[in-house]
Amino acid sequence: MVGSPVLFVAIPLLTAFLIPLFAYIWKELVRIIPGIVILYLLVLSVSLYGQVLREGTIVEQIAGWAPPWGINLVFSPFTGLLSTLMLFMAFIIWMYSYRFKNIDFEPSKKYFILLLMLVTGSIGIVLTGDIFNQFVFIEIMSISGYGLTAFYVGRDSAEASFKYLIMGSISSMFLLLAIILIYSQLGTLNMADIASKAHLMKPEFKILALIFFILGLGIEAEIFPLNGWAPDVYSQAPGPIGAAFSGIVVKAGIYALIRVIYTLFDVEGSLQFLVIIGMITLIIAEMAAIRQDKIKRMLAYSSIGQMGLVLVAFGIGTHEGVFAALFLMVSHALIKPLLFLSGSYLVFNSTEKSIKELNGLGKFMPLTSFLFALGAIAIVGLPPLSGFWAKWSVLTAAANSGMLLVIGLVLAISIVEIVYYFRVVNRIYFFKKEESVVPKIPTINAKFAMVILAVIIVAIGFYPDLITSYLHEASETLLDKGNYIQNILSVAQQVTQ
Amino acid sequence: MKKVLVLLLLVIFGVYLADVMFSLEFGRQVFTDGVRDFYLEKSPLDLKVSNTITAIVVNFRGFDTLGEVTVLFLATTAMGGILYKKRHAAGTRSVLFSSSKIVMAGSKILFPAIILLGVYVFIHGHLSPGGGFQGGTIIATGFLLMLMAYYDYSVNHNVLTIIESLAGITFAGIGLMGLVKGGSFLENTMPVGVMNNLFSGGLIPLIYIAVGFKVGAELTGLIYTALHEKD
Repeated sequence: MVGSPVLFVAIPLLTAFLIPLFAYIWKELVRIIPGIVILYLLVLSVSLYGQVLREGTIVEQIAGWAPPWGINLVFSPFTGLLSTLMLFMAFIIWMYSYRFKNIDFEPSKKYFILLLMLVTGSIGIVLTGDIFNQFVFIEIMSISGYGLTAFYVGRDSAEASFKYLIMGSISSMFLLLAIILIYSQLGTLNMADIASKAHLMKPEFKILALIFFILGLGIEAEIFPLNGWAPDVYSQAPGPIGAAFSGIVVKAGIYALIRVIYTLFDVEGSLQFLVIIGMITLIIAEMAAIRQDKIKRMLAYSSIGQMGLVLVAFGIGTHEGVFAALFLMVSHALIKPLLFLSGSYLVFNSTEKSIKELNGLGKFMPLTSFLFALGAIAIVGLPPLSGFWAKWSVLTAAANSGMLLVIGLVLAISIVEIVYYFRVVNRIYFFKKEESVVPKIPTINAKFAMVILAVIIVAIGFYPDLITSYLHEASETLLDKGNYIQNILSVAQQVTQ
Repeated sequence: MKKVLVLLLLVIFGVYLADVMFSLEFGRQVFTDGVRDFYLEKSPLDLKVSNTITAIVVNFRGFDTLGEVTVLFLATTAMGGILYKKRHAAGTRSVLFSSSKIVMAGSKILFPAIILLGVYVFIHGHLSPGGGFQGGTIIATGFLLMLMAYYDYSVNHNVLTIIESLAGITFAGIGLMGLVKGGSFLENTMPVGVMNNLFSGGLIPLIYIAVGFKVGAELTGLIYTALHEKD
């Protein structure tokens, strides 16, 4: 065995506690150590993932108690894929923000602790097999999120953070109510155990628990009426944090929602609900995106819209649908951070951060502009890039399930996306530069981080087979609920025998 | 009109919620094969801990506790990060005068007693009600009392940071020790001793002592940061 899944949580926590001490030794360690830790975990995640694909799911029990009694972590082809993706994005974001807040030492120490914990919380949500433990990780993730949002000390960022704080607290309250309901009825907190006993619950309690889960997790997953905080947070948080939200945090929220709907309960009509809520989210968010005049708000709304599309794809419910949803998640997790990272350099020196100030920057910031344009082309789904294959797989999945409305909607929305993304690209390349805007050349590590993302997007675009087999394996795992329950509870049976 | 509609919706939702929550029958036995019996049976037998809640919080679900400790750590870290600029720009303390002589003299007498009580509560977490979180909070109230009584009372921030970090490292390190010894994370690797003795329960008291130090240092730091706008 190369390592155990618990290290994904234990090592970052240990590091976070150690960072304040490292700061006394050498200040630069505060920046270097998180990167080394994330890189180590990424390597570990990749090697564990390879092992899982060969030998089957790893169920790690904590404190030596078998699943229904103790907490367990599940590293399956599905969760392993997501944790690898998150760690990779975390590494890119660390590389990008290595020089962040260089002037003040104290905030940069706190920035790296919070960033590390944001990632750890997200990975914990994905790996855990226990609903209360998931709640704890959601807390860790959102509290780091509040702190990071308010990092540019100013009125607007404090407001955004406060809004997120209020929404997040309501979200955790609903989650706690759902957990109480389930525990009072079934006497267990383990996901597999709940899934195997869910039919014993009275239907009214089951529905209410599901409603609470959707309300609570919907806030993290940014589904339509609950996503009021997202545009503010994305636009007020520092650039790399916007990228971390769109690449890591939202994915964790979606995962938790999908886990509840697919595995925990088997409620009739919840998949149709996903399709409907996803479509509403998609339409509203894209309509809002086209009206924005600030670049980061536009990207935020676009991100919400893409998450709506992911939910629609999950709602199709077939193997193809889940595959498409995962493809979309992976591709969005690569493209949207690229847009955020390059976009925040494009508006680095402008006061308004508005789209107008991007005029003609193509000549002055060639690399950043090119990467932004590449991201824009990829996210609207034009052929040679990864976004195309993601949208294509959604369309085929919808067509094979006879959901013509979804096909029409996806195509129509793509046109809307082309309009607002190409409006920006057009301004960057074909307008005359305004005098007042001073171009900002990215630091070398930021350039490196963005180029890596761009290369991967292009590579997946030309060779989608690079990842499709993994995605098929992952969607197989998610849909095979019986196997999930058996994998976890068989450990318990071995103990009692 | 809009407000009335919202109110109406909230009332409907509230009535529905109340109805379901009242029919939950809290305290009655509705499930037969839950985890409860296992915990009640195992904590005196295997762990030799008479406080079952402590056994659940620190051993069975110790991973959650590690998470909760981290939540507190993050809250202080985030607050320090956000208030940093304000603290350095303004540079004054929000409370500028001392309390009366009676309060000052009284709190000097009470302070050691409060600290002692806090330490007692977290050391005896596995024997009696209470534990690391409660004990740590009691300790922080002692410092709060001193900070309110004396306007020039100060706590060394570096010491707090070091205590906080060392306690966190102890907790996570104890967890990893189980992994190193070939078991699982946070597994009890020490002899459990005799029930109701002070030195019993394996790793449980050690973890609770770390939690007590950590919570005490963190809450004190939090109060101090909020009260002193100057470092």
